[in-house]
Amino acid sequence: MNETLINVGVAQVKLGSNPTVLRTILGSCVGICIYDRIKKIGGLAHVLLPKDTTSGQAPEKYADTAIPFLLQRLLKEGAKKENLSAKIAGGASMFKFGANVSLGQIGDKNVAETKRVLEELNIPLLEEDTGGNAGRVIDFFLNDGHLKVKAAGEEKNYYKI
Amino acid sequence: MHAHIKQRIEATINNIAALPTIPEVASKVLNMVNDPEVSFKAVGEEISKDQAMTTNILKLCNSAYFSKGKEITSIDRAIVTLGIKEVTNIVMVVATKPVLDKFVIGYDLAKGELWKQGLLVGIVSKCLAMNIKRKDIADTVFTGGIIHNVGKTILAIYVQNTFKDILKEVTTNNRTFNEAERLIMGYSHQEISAKILEKWNFPEVLRAIVTYYSDPENAPEKYRMEVSLVHIANVLSLMAGIGVGADGLYHQISDKALETVGISNEELEAVFNRIPEMIKQVREIA
Repeated sequence: MNETLINVGVAQVKLGSNPTVLRTILGSCVGICIYDRIKKIGGLAHVLLPKDTTSGQAPEKYADTAIPFLLQRLLKEGAKKENLSAKIAGGASMFKFGANVSLGQIGDKNVAETKRVLEELNIPLLEEDTGGNAGRVIDFFLNDGHLKVKAAGEEKNYYKI
Repeated sequence: MHAHIKQRIEATINNIAALPTIPEVASKVLNMVNDPEVSFKAVGEEISKDQAMTTNILKLCNSAYFSKGKEITSIDRAIVTLGIKEVTNIVMVVATKPVLDKFVIGYDLAKGELWKQGLLVGIVSKCLAMNIKRKDIADTVFTGGIIHNVGKTILAIYVQNTFKDILKEVTTNNRTFNEAERLIMGYSHQEISAKILEKWNFPEVLRAIVTYYSDPENAPEKYRMEVSLVHIANVLSLMAGIGVGADGLYHQISDKALETVGISNEELEAVFNRIPEMIKQVREIA
């Protein structure tokens, strides 16, 4: 296949179309993959933290600003809202930490805020591979919208679009 | 425990030639700058003897991360403009890159990931040290951060063979990945790192950093601050997905380290929030 691999860094939003593959590596961050099943275009947002604290200076960094930002860019590229669906991955936590260390909760908070924002924007969340303590390498295939998640030496594929 | 794997690891680390090497000038400079009797001129002359290193060092002196604006064209100029400590940092970056900038099997790190993580942990450690007004140890933790995982380059092949057993030990007996490494293979990568630094003749504080960065509560009291800073920086890096491999986030956040550094939840999150900007700095020197 003639795929182009695009690496998406921390706090970045990237878009592509068939046959691009969007790749990112996740720890506590969450990767939000949104796909237009008719137009075969999609985008991946790699968010670091749940809520924007900088009043819009870095919209790609936070779940509550990056997801609307990704949606706007997809619509601009010709995606139709009714054809969009989302898959998410990431939000892992460190294996051991003290109960009063708030850093330990960030993975869970990222996942919760991501789900809240997707719901608010009316984008159906079809699949998720979140939580736990494994790091994840994810590949989002824009030819058919499927998501491959590699974690702790094993691969899983999520096909719903 | 896989006894035959333990034996093979022992054979490797007892064979000096099997451990990675760095240019001699790096160890020399590192020990020279800690000696108050040594002149800057002598350090400059020592570095300049290594032509290939010098070229790469000057390139980094003029990179966005290290540059002070003026173009630097000689080691002597670099020492005057950037200071001897910063030049030593640059020497360490140049010297360790060939050892760390490679694909690491077993831990499943693509080429460049271990190197990028080392640089990020170095930069974050330095930033944490500055935050608590410990400029005096900022350069030490920068170097310690860069090389904190060097033992993975040797242990990787054995992790490849025993990964399933290590992970099983982690999940069924609630042990961190390093503890499980030691139980299954007889060694953790931290012990291998210490061996490598011994070969390189690196100072005690750096050996303490690589040995205890994942369990700073066991670090000797006199180096606990340095070890704790690198510990926290490594946690932040893993959480941001930088350097996170097959061992994932199966590591701890040490309460003792947070207490030693005296950092609050808010300050920790503020540094985490700045990770993307620090990743940009990594790209400037990678």
